[in-house]
Amino acid sequence: MKKSAAMKTLLYIDLTQRKSVSMEVASRLEEDFVGGKGFGAKILQDLLPANTDPLSPQNMLIFMTGPLTGTLAPAMRGCVVTKSPLTGTFVDSYFGGHFAQEIRYCGFDGIIITGKAKEPSYLWIDENRVEIRSATQIWGLDTFATVEKLREISEDESVKTACIGPAGENMVSFALINCEFNRHAGRGGTGAVMGSKNLKALALRGSNKITVTDTGSFESAVSQAYKELAANEEVQSFTTDGTPGVVDFANIEQLLPTYNYYNGTYKEASGLNAEAQRKHFWVRNTACAGCPIACGKVGSIRRGRHKGVISDVVEYENAGLMGSNLGISDIREVAYLVKKCDALGLDSMSAGGVSGFAIEAFQNGLLTTADTGGLELEFGNAAAIDYLLEIIASRTGIGNLLARGVKEAARELNRGADNYAIHVKGLESPAFGPRSVPGMGLALATADRGGCHQRALPILYEIGGEWKGEMVKRNSLKNKAEIVVFQQNYLASLDTLVKCDFAQYGITAETYCHLMEAALGRVWDPSKLLQLGDRIWNQIRLFNLREGFTRADDRLPRRFTEEPLPEGPYQGERIPKEDLEQLLDDYYAIRGWDSSGRPTEAKLAELGLDKMPVLVKVPGKDN
Amino acid sequence: MKYLRGQFDLCTGCESCLLACSHRVTGGYNPRLARMKVLKARENLINRPIVCTQCENPFCMYSCPVDAISKDKISGVVLIDKDKCTGCGNCIKACPDEMIHLDENGKADKCDLCEGNPLCVQFCIPGALKLVEKQEVTGK
Repeated sequence: MKKSAAMKTLLYIDLTQRKSVSMEVASRLEEDFVGGKGFGAKILQDLLPANTDPLSPQNMLIFMTGPLTGTLAPAMRGCVVTKSPLTGTFVDSYFGGHFAQEIRYCGFDGIIITGKAKEPSYLWIDENRVEIRSATQIWGLDTFATVEKLREISEDESVKTACIGPAGENMVSFALINCEFNRHAGRGGTGAVMGSKNLKALALRGSNKITVTDTGSFESAVSQAYKELAANEEVQSFTTDGTPGVVDFANIEQLLPTYNYYNGTYKEASGLNAEAQRKHFWVRNTACAGCPIACGKVGSIRRGRHKGVISDVVEYENAGLMGSNLGISDIREVAYLVKKCDALGLDSMSAGGVSGFAIEAFQNGLLTTADTGGLELEFGNAAAIDYLLEIIASRTGIGNLLARGVKEAARELNRGADNYAIHVKGLESPAFGPRSVPGMGLALATADRGGCHQRALPILYEIGGEWKGEMVKRNSLKNKAEIVVFQQNYLASLDTLVKCDFAQYGITAETYCHLMEAALGRVWDPSKLLQLGDRIWNQIRLFNLREGFTRADDRLPRRFTEEPLPEGPYQGERIPKEDLEQLLDDYYAIRGWDSSGRPTEAKLAELGLDKMPVLVKVPGKDN
Repeated sequence: MKYLRGQFDLCTGCESCLLACSHRVTGGYNPRLARMKVLKARENLINRPIVCTQCENPFCMYSCPVDAISKDKISGVVLIDKDKCTGCGNCIKACPDEMIHLDENGKADKCDLCEGNPLCVQFCIPGALKLVEKQEVTGK
């Protein structure tokens, strides 16, 4: 067989039957879906029966890598794919660190986990040998203690782990999977799915080596990628300031969520930015496997009541959602709260959205001190948030309600609570308020996993960029759908590799293609990448349609459509419903979908999805 | 004479050095197969590159029962003669930093400084690995 960086093998584990099987990757799966997000989309479609309860044993928890993960191609990662308990949609949640690489060093492109273990368990995968072990020693521990204990049990500091915290064990709908120290599959409740399977952790150790097809041309493509990263200004800013560099920008552009998205600017934003973080705790840069950017900034808090707490960078999303969105301006408090989320195994983005929702519900009398154990929920009160995180992770009192995310909590509280629930399809919105950037609104409304800024970020075009030689007007609807479709397709194609969101600002499409060609021995060009992304996007749309989603779900929260920005440079801006409908019409037309958001036969035929066979089957079954 | 120096204060823990090294040694990528390592501690606050420093007083060399290890008089690099090596493992035990391993053929294997232009240094973008000149200490 020709040398290739693909392992061509998936590990399938059934926790109910306590069996594991190596599955050969069908060549069509590799050709049409490449890896990462693409594999995840097709595997979930093929293996998961329609309308499966996300927290039932039948759901599939899929850890995927890309064919460049674990090589010297810069900044490649992994993702967890499953049916989300938070949204009911397909979810792909990406993680850096070193865990995805270790899956490949164990000889697999991905790990598919189904069933439910009888007792709390963890997976020990040493090379290609799989053991389902009792997790009695680690069940109940927070994520940091779990990692430490796993290293101790395996008598090896070098094992790579993925684990859940108490929130995942308790199946909080927005529980995350920790992939060692501030690297998480954060969004969409993948940790709850893991908890529902009684699976506390995976610990991996592998010495398999990854070989590429053409060493010489791979090395030259790697060197080109390094040059492009070094020359790119955005990438340089991630090296210097990490994502908190975005705080000042977002504040000026009125995109920073403030007081549960009441506004887009925050008077005290300078308390949360890169300068504030550097002053209070940063010591050094830290990087994921094979990444020259090093956007991480670790240190320990120097002064105050959290003195000595080690914290990685407070990412922009957390500075926004746990900081300005909750009216907390002391970065040390935010760092502490985010670390608490990490330890408990809560997605800190959703936790910020949920906390903002709870505060507003309290202010409006939908929650009272009788619900909160006497605690006054108010913006700016870090101690109250600390308490909320505890009761959410343990599902105590109203924590049990909030643990279901803002959409479900609002449904339960009723009485207009959905006005404070800032989400799309159940996924709490990211820290880019879209009211003055309608393209971003469309991106949030149409993202495959619900309110997400990583599938497309048209803001960069909308604030003064060019599209096809023409200046893009910020408040206009023109070209916005086309930009969103382009970004969604392009980024989805790179999520097969699995790219880093920041590295892709520097590495060109041509260079990604060179890396793929040299590693896999198949010819690639940028137009093929866009078609690959288009295929994946449509595959996932078919999945979400199958699960009952319709045009009516491609929506924005009322706050973005009805409540104008109250003051500031973009005062009065919102995305009226008729504008969103217009954007959706444009978007569906460009996508080749009918007006109900369903891909047309012609579109499916163009992408080879019309007669797409089942490519992944449950081992030992004839389905 | 030059040797490799690894600085914990600058190392980001990306392990690109290990990937480049493993590929040179084995033709494939896996940091576990590199001729160096990076130790991590305190939630990645500490990443400590451990490299062969081409010792002035190489324990590995003295431990070899068949004189397969020598120190090059000009470059100072401690080299293994794979034809002479019997794979007994004495040198592996002798090195406190675990900088020697058995290769795929069962022969001792260690850092040779890539013949003067180490790949690990080339791929260390944060500058945590440096090829530095050995200083003669007076009064030794």
